[in-house]
Amino acid sequence: MGAAIQDNLFTPDVIADPYSYYGRLRDEDPVHWNEPYELWVITRHDDLVWLTRHHELFSSAVFKTDPRPPYPAIDESDLGLYEYVRNYQGDQFIQHDRPEHLEMRRIVHGYFTPKSMEAWRPFVQKAVKELLDEAEEKGRMDVMRDLATPLPVLVIAQMMGVPEQDRRYVRQLAEKLLYIGRGEYDRMKPLTEGMRGMIDYVSPLVDQRIVNPGDDFISVLAGGERRGVFSRHEVLVNTSLLLLAGHETTINLICNGTLAFMRHPDQWALLKRDPAGLAKTATEECLRYDSPVVSIQRIASQDVEMRGKVLNKKDRVRWFISSANRDPAKFADPDKFDITRWPNQHVAFGNGVHHCLGATLARVEGQEVFRALAERFPDLRTETEDLEYQPSITFRSLKSLPVTWQ
Amino acid sequence: MARNLRIRVDHDVCVGNAMCETIAPKVFRLNDDRQSEAVDPGGDTVEKIIEAAENCPVSAIFVEDADTGEQLFP
Repeated sequence: MGAAIQDNLFTPDVIADPYSYYGRLRDEDPVHWNEPYELWVITRHDDLVWLTRHHELFSSAVFKTDPRPPYPAIDESDLGLYEYVRNYQGDQFIQHDRPEHLEMRRIVHGYFTPKSMEAWRPFVQKAVKELLDEAEEKGRMDVMRDLATPLPVLVIAQMMGVPEQDRRYVRQLAEKLLYIGRGEYDRMKPLTEGMRGMIDYVSPLVDQRIVNPGDDFISVLAGGERRGVFSRHEVLVNTSLLLLAGHETTINLICNGTLAFMRHPDQWALLKRDPAGLAKTATEECLRYDSPVVSIQRIASQDVEMRGKVLNKKDRVRWFISSANRDPAKFADPDKFDITRWPNQHVAFGNGVHHCLGATLARVEGQEVFRALAERFPDLRTETEDLEYQPSITFRSLKSLPVTWQ
Repeated sequence: MARNLRIRVDHDVCVGNAMCETIAPKVFRLNDDRQSEAVDPGGDTVEKIIEAAENCPVSAIFVEDADTGEQLFP
């Protein structure tokens, strides 16, 4: 054991390289009490799997049951806005426990089965192609701005049945919603603007699809309202949940995965030899190696013992995907980026009854992006090594990723 | 006559989402590791079992006709 473990999770070095910090915790104190943020830090792969599969011990209703202020701290005059965010987030189906969670998930689950999502692959391919066509002429792009940010919004807008002329507006709202996972002191203003904007925008669409349902996702939620499972507010916030949960995460998969390839030329060369054949295992390895989501929080529903420590009822419990996915007890050579790794039991999408609803969609988007980049831009390389991450412990988000292929 | 089914759940892939157990509770049950096991392949109709397999978010469930070996899902 070296020096005592410092507990500030937002220092520039922990944000830049979470793997060293959480890796040390995983080795030395895998169930660690973090005093400044008053939360348990869980870092081992087997503990994450156990925790996420015991949903009855760890509540997902975090926003409704945790009275503590947000962290990192926000401007005190924005606490009213935070109340709005709490009510908004708290009504999402993912912020519920069983039995309500199961009832709600059953409404939306069928929309996202692997078979249904496979039917979206041609749409994703076309969207990727069009975005890369635009970039190709310039000879360079910011993967973040030009590919990773617009792609998921194009797909989600299509799923919601948003009319063509409104897509630019929805994209602007989506970009405000990205503040959800960030650490800026003044993040509540743009975030609540995005949330209110989404409610205002989606309300008339819901009215319309209650009466005249189609095969889009808003109609699925509206069906849940007709059956008495969702209130109107729940329909509205779960519509934006599609953008909240499906945007930043997919952006990070695309950017972090692309960066991993650029830093591992041998793996990039391997992918280029067989882009279609390797896209699947490569995407899984991108999800594991530099996971889009760093950590997720629960609230202990009762006293729980883990590795000789007692987590008290109502304690905050934060599980670190980034650390579990590099656990040497689970993965051989965990710090090696190996796109042929299989099986690959990473926990990038969580586990258990709350396993990410959009996992298959994210996989399809990742597979089509990495395949298209390898096929079209074999000489792809980063323009700078001076890359910065958002100050977040929820998301592993680059601020930009400029690349060139000329 | 009812078909005899052989059902396999791939535990390298199963994440314990438990939707199979919700859809066909007599057929699928979570074990002590909270992964799905096919405890009674005759516990429900073929249609229900295929529905459960289709709703597995990670495609961990494989269904075949035990007599003919015909693959029914995927």
